[in-house]
Amino acid sequence: MKLYLKFDINAVCKKVLQEQLDNLDLNYSIQGFGEVEINNSPSNEMLKTLNENLNRYGISVVESHKSVLVQKIKDAIVEMVYSDEKLSNAKTSVYLAEKIGQSYGYISNLFSDVTYTSIANFIILQKIERAKQLILTNELTITEIAWKLSYSSVAHFSNQFKNATGLTPSAFQRIIDKRKNMQQKNA
Amino acid sequence: MKLKSLFTSSFFLKSIFIASLFILIFISTFLYKHSIGLIDSAELLVHTHKVHLELEQLNSALKDVEINQTGYFISRDTIFLKSFRESREKVAKSIHTLNSLVDDNLTQRNNLDSLQKLITLRYNILFENSINLTDSIPMNARRFNKSLVEGKIVMTTIRDQINKMIDLEKIYMVERQERYDNETFFTPFYSMMLLLFSLLVFVFSYFKINKDLESFKKSNDILTIATESMKHAEEIGGFSSWQWDVDSNTFTYSDNQYRLLGVEPQSFVPSMEAFIKFVHPEDRHIITNGEDHVVNHQRPNAAFFRIIRNDGNIRYFRSMGVFLNNAEGHKILIGINNDVTEEYLISKSLEDRNHELEKSNRELASFNHVASHDLQEPLRKIQTFISRIYEKEVEGLSPTGKEYFDKIQAAANRMRILIDDLLLFSRTNKVEKAFEAADLNQLLESAKQELAQAIEEKNATIKSDFLPTIHAIPFQIQQLFINLIGNSLKYNKPDIAPVIKIECEIIRAADYAILNKNTNEAFYKISVSDNGMGFEQKYSEAIFTLFHRLHNNSDYPGTGIGLSICKKIVENHHGRIMAESIPGIGSTFSIFFPIK
Amino acid sequence: MQNEIIRVMLADDDEDDRLFFKDAFEEIKIKTDVSTLNNGIELMNFLTQPDIALPHVLFLDLNMPGKTGLDCLKEIKGIDRLKDIAIAIYSTSASEEDIEETFVKGANIYIKKPHDFLALKKILEDVITLNWQYHTSGLNRDNFLLSL
Repeated sequence: MKLYLKFDINAVCKKVLQEQLDNLDLNYSIQGFGEVEINNSPSNEMLKTLNENLNRYGISVVESHKSVLVQKIKDAIVEMVYSDEKLSNAKTSVYLAEKIGQSYGYISNLFSDVTYTSIANFIILQKIERAKQLILTNELTITEIAWKLSYSSVAHFSNQFKNATGLTPSAFQRIIDKRKNMQQKNA
Repeated sequence: MKLKSLFTSSFFLKSIFIASLFILIFISTFLYKHSIGLIDSAELLVHTHKVHLELEQLNSALKDVEINQTGYFISRDTIFLKSFRESREKVAKSIHTLNSLVDDNLTQRNNLDSLQKLITLRYNILFENSINLTDSIPMNARRFNKSLVEGKIVMTTIRDQINKMIDLEKIYMVERQERYDNETFFTPFYSMMLLLFSLLVFVFSYFKINKDLESFKKSNDILTIATESMKHAEEIGGFSSWQWDVDSNTFTYSDNQYRLLGVEPQSFVPSMEAFIKFVHPEDRHIITNGEDHVVNHQRPNAAFFRIIRNDGNIRYFRSMGVFLNNAEGHKILIGINNDVTEEYLISKSLEDRNHELEKSNRELASFNHVASHDLQEPLRKIQTFISRIYEKEVEGLSPTGKEYFDKIQAAANRMRILIDDLLLFSRTNKVEKAFEAADLNQLLESAKQELAQAIEEKNATIKSDFLPTIHAIPFQIQQLFINLIGNSLKYNKPDIAPVIKIECEIIRAADYAILNKNTNEAFYKISVSDNGMGFEQKYSEAIFTLFHRLHNNSDYPGTGIGLSICKKIVENHHGRIMAESIPGIGSTFSIFFPIK
Repeated sequence: MQNEIIRVMLADDDEDDRLFFKDAFEEIKIKTDVSTLNNGIELMNFLTQPDIALPHVLFLDLNMPGKTGLDCLKEIKGIDRLKDIAIAIYSTSASEEDIEETFVKGANIYIKKPHDFLALKKILEDVITLNWQYHTSGLNRDNFLLSL
């Protein structure tokens, strides 16, 4: 006899998932399709067992592959910005692609999907952060900082700083200095 | 000038007097000496003559003796003997006289002694010859002749001796004559000198006294005139003078001092008590303070106090005093009282009016600020709601509807820009902001950063001198730089990268008409010059007026408030701003800040 | 980013501004939980309650009756528990010096209330996004200064 079946794939996967998780006595909540929040921290052993069990059903644990990668990208960018080597903007894409081991196109799309912001913006964010730290140390002039961060001119640097924060570098310095003075007075 | 003062100095006079005295004494001494000398030499001369004469007489007497002896020898007449004896007496007398005459002269005394001896010898011979030989009748002719001859020899010797003495006297005479001649010259000479010098001194004294008398008279005249004009000046100028002899505690008031107090001149005896009665009760302590100072021989400070006249009129006095010593060595305080009532009242009313104006200004500025600030809110709501409606309902609008909405938005935008500018302008008025030491280099740097986008876009170059640190409100100066440099960036020659120079130099107020001060005060002159499109110099003052523009809004957006804000900021800092430009070449804006 | 709902709070005495605020957030695609309060006293009363979920970003109007925005800012900065809240001053325009003063007093963000609804949406979106970056990238919150 021929039976006609209708599959609710989501329900099936969910059920399988629940069973396997219950077997391992894990405390969990299913977030949505393809995401499970494990509330306690399972050991790697346990995760490995889980993965193996699920594999039999054709389900594999993708180890938050995207977020890990994004984190790697972020780390790579931070490293690049904070190194003393001066990389021109053209070379960053090459640098990152090499560092991550994927093409730049893939990396940048992935990054935008996950973080809702572009790599270029993130680089600027990190550069400005570093600039803020350098300003705070009071050891370098604005011109020196601009050069250190590979900007072609002080105007270019001031411009980007202002676009990112709404303040000029010297205004920023003024505010932080005044904050320090206030804290010292209150201390 | 120095020489003249030398002549009139009393020290000089005294020394001349003493010198003259010495010279007179000196000359008199000489004169006296020479007079005595004259008398002496005359006496000596006479003496020499006397001796000479006496010697001649002796000679003659001795001759007489010889003659008488010879006569007796020849005639044996006793008459000759008598004469002989008389002559011998004469001789003895002469000798005697000569003795006393030559007593002062050793040589002649010796000579006379020898002479006397010789004469004695002669007489002895004579005795032998005459008494002895003549009395014996047979005269021993031979012995007689011998004694005659002896006698002659002795006589010759005597004569020689006498001649020697005479010669000596002659020599003396020459000497003494010389001396006498000398003295007869010098004595009148010195008398003459004495006379002339005395005459000179008299004449000099006369002229001096005369001159001094004249100059005293003149000074006296000037003094009299000065005193008179002073009196009048006091009346006209509304001031008076007074004197206080501190040691004897007597006061002297000028006539006008009485008049200033509202009474007739000399109508009361001046004293501290009498004066204090006129002084406003609240100000009396000022007078007593001054009095204390004076009593302790300290110079009193300038005093400012009120007096009340007998008719109730209040006058404001300014009083000053200095110490002098008068001829008796008393300390006198010379004082001036100035009736400054008019000035005081005028300046007070000016002060009050100033306060009124300042208050009114503050209120206006405050109103301006509040108005622009409070107008922002409803305008913002209007614009936001319009944009919401537009966004949601634009599809359903007719083309006219859309058009109207666009117009509303445009109008609202214009209003917003205007209010923003008014707010910006009103903020510049808030001068209660604290002035502090502002490093212009830092402020320029901040301004450049604010304009970073435009600088980058237009590829502009900005060069600057090292700028000073001035006493200023930092944010306002930063705004000043932003506006000026922003203008230079905005109004560049199309397609030519702006090149902006900021220079600084120190100048003197008198050299720049705009500063309107004829003093040597120093100012910083900061020039912002560019290579932009420039403007016609005739507009160089108009551009600083509120909302004045030289361009269309479509060509170059802006409201024309930037430069008037610059002017307000510069004036807040007690400075000035001016513009110079050549169309097509560039513009220079010069800002003057006083160096404090 | 979407795992966590971002909690946003506004204290403003103007009802129109509160309306704009809520509407803007509804149209932003970031998941937010928006709440509004009418004045500073309400705000401080709320924040000083124990065991409440603190907002990630707090928007403060300056001109409120009773307790002004600056009063609230000062108080919040004095409470240790509240120091991780990103504070955004949300106000009508002020002079550059006044804006700097609010930063000096501890504000992280200064927003000039825009005249346009679209602009408001963009601004709020940027603020939330940037704040999230700070939150997730371990950046120094003390240096978080944004002026819009």
